Amino acid sequence: MLITGIKSRPVYDRLIPMAKGLTHVAAGQGSGGEPLIRLLGEMNPEQLAATSVLYSSESFTGRNYLAELQGFGVGDLLVFESNGDAVSGLDSFLAGAKMGTRLYLSGSEGFIGTSMQVATAYGMNRDEVLREHAGSFVRRVWCAHCSHYSENVTRRVFRCPGCERNLVVRDHYSGRLAAFQGVKADGEVPGELPDDEELDT
Amino acid sequence: MTAIPESTTFTTDETYTPEGQYRFANSRAGVRRLPFPFPDDEYMYSMNLEPHVPAGTGALVAGFDIDEHYVSECAHRAQMLEEMPGVHYIALPHMLEAQWDLLELIFESYNRDFPEHFTLTKNGNEWRWENRLLGIDDSFTFGDPETLPMDPMEYATRQAQGEFVVLEERDNTLVIGAGMTTQRADYSLQFNMGMSFAEFHGPVPKVEKLGILDRALKFLLRMKPGHPVRRVNWSLTVNPRLETSVETLPDWAPDRAKVTAENAGELVYLRIELQPLHRLPRSNAIVFPVRTYLVSLAELVEHAPDWAKRVHRALSSLDLELADYKGFHRYHGAAVEWLSHHDDGAPLATGYPWIQDGIQPGGS
Repeated sequence: MLITGIKSRPVYDRLIPMAKGLTHVAAGQGSGGEPLIRLLGEMNPEQLAATSVLYSSESFTGRNYLAELQGFGVGDLLVFESNGDAVSGLDSFLAGAKMGTRLYLSGSEGFIGTSMQVATAYGMNRDEVLREHAGSFVRRVWCAHCSHYSENVTRRVFRCPGCERNLVVRDHYSGRLAAFQGVKADGEVPGELPDDEELDT
Repeated sequence: MTAIPESTTFTTDETYTPEGQYRFANSRAGVRRLPFPFPDDEYMYSMNLEPHVPAGTGALVAGFDIDEHYVSECAHRAQMLEEMPGVHYIALPHMLEAQWDLLELIFESYNRDFPEHFTLTKNGNEWRWENRLLGIDDSFTFGDPETLPMDPMEYATRQAQGEFVVLEERDNTLVIGAGMTTQRADYSLQFNMGMSFAEFHGPVPKVEKLGILDRALKFLLRMKPGHPVRRVNWSLTVNPRLETSVETLPDWAPDRAKVTAENAGELVYLRIELQPLHRLPRSNAIVFPVRTYLVSLAELVEHAPDWAKRVHRALSSLDLELADYKGFHRYHGAAVEWLSHHDDGAPLATGYPWIQDGIQPGGS
């Protein structure tokens, strides 16, 4: 039942300033603050002035880079308390964005994935977005049976809050749903669960 | 000229669901025309692509095959779409041109291969489609979605056997852009939508090691309109259930635990997938159809004894990792044991049944 080797997991980039960008949006979460700081440090004053930073202080590992981010003279710095709010903030921002906008994402896989859903909805191309993973590899998991999304999943087997089924997390990632796939763990024989293990967090 | 025998009787009241008590059976002629997927006693996973040209006298005569289950299977599709909207049929907005391509391909094929049942009449872009098996007679303007009651792809594939996944070519790979998949074998269309070739094949074991995927992708990217290719694939499933999606796994997976060496003949079905791939002319997309045939092990023994022997040998020597991937790890042994009582060990011909000297069903 369990499938190993994750060929569908995104391949992440390293954030570097995209020279052709006229305006820059850098959205990060938790540990994703560290790549943002490195990115801003590599920007020239003109790029910094044309940059908006969106930062969520929600973090699975408890890291917060807000103070350092405040030290750069960026055009705009928006702070959010949750990743969901930051993704909504990105949505509002991109609604008013012009041609020549470049997007930088960093943080957990769930944050990058849900931000990519927003970017894709605005028709941004892959070459206009850079993504750098930071922090824990906790997973966002979609329940195939009730469509509930669970954030920060760390175990191979867990109980779905949506339908109360025990789910096994398959090593299969959907960019469209920004999530791994969870399916009923004891589908064949009730109570016969596969081995639990810590995921590659 | 028709690609199915004139004597074919279309069964109209079959079901593929437990609620319908799995009222499904193959006729003897229906079994013996199957695209039997085991050319050798030992099974090796491969892409085994070959030109999709008419071959033999069975399921490989038509561009898109239909058989005695056509009417029931279309009814099943309608039922599945109604029960779970948004789960079995999805088309991304930019796939409209490919949808029309697919409609044309299916309707032209049916019109050509089964003229007694289907007629496509073109007058410029004003088309008339008659499907006498389902009692449909519609006129519409090709290319104008307003003239159809639903998406062109949904309209055409609700009248077609098998499932259809449309892949668009982008950045040297193929990306899933649309699908009509009411007969999925343990995957999710919602989940896989938008994935590239390497991504949606991610869970298949061994294939990357063997370099098969890269070669297959390169081959597919060179495909030209009018030169389709095909492959056959197979799995085992419990009960004649077509819809075995990830979404409904809690409904069907428990059946896997019910199989014993005594009841495997009736419960276990060989699920044959005939996959005739076509490049579509306007959109440059590729359609990946999966035409699924179900036949119980007992039906094979009764109507095609040599094929039953071959299945016994292929399953006996099967790599366990593949059995696990295909989802029948739990009852693999029971199926092999049941079949062992119907295999006398006699030598069998090598090659698919539709090639000369290939393995025939046996019996008479």
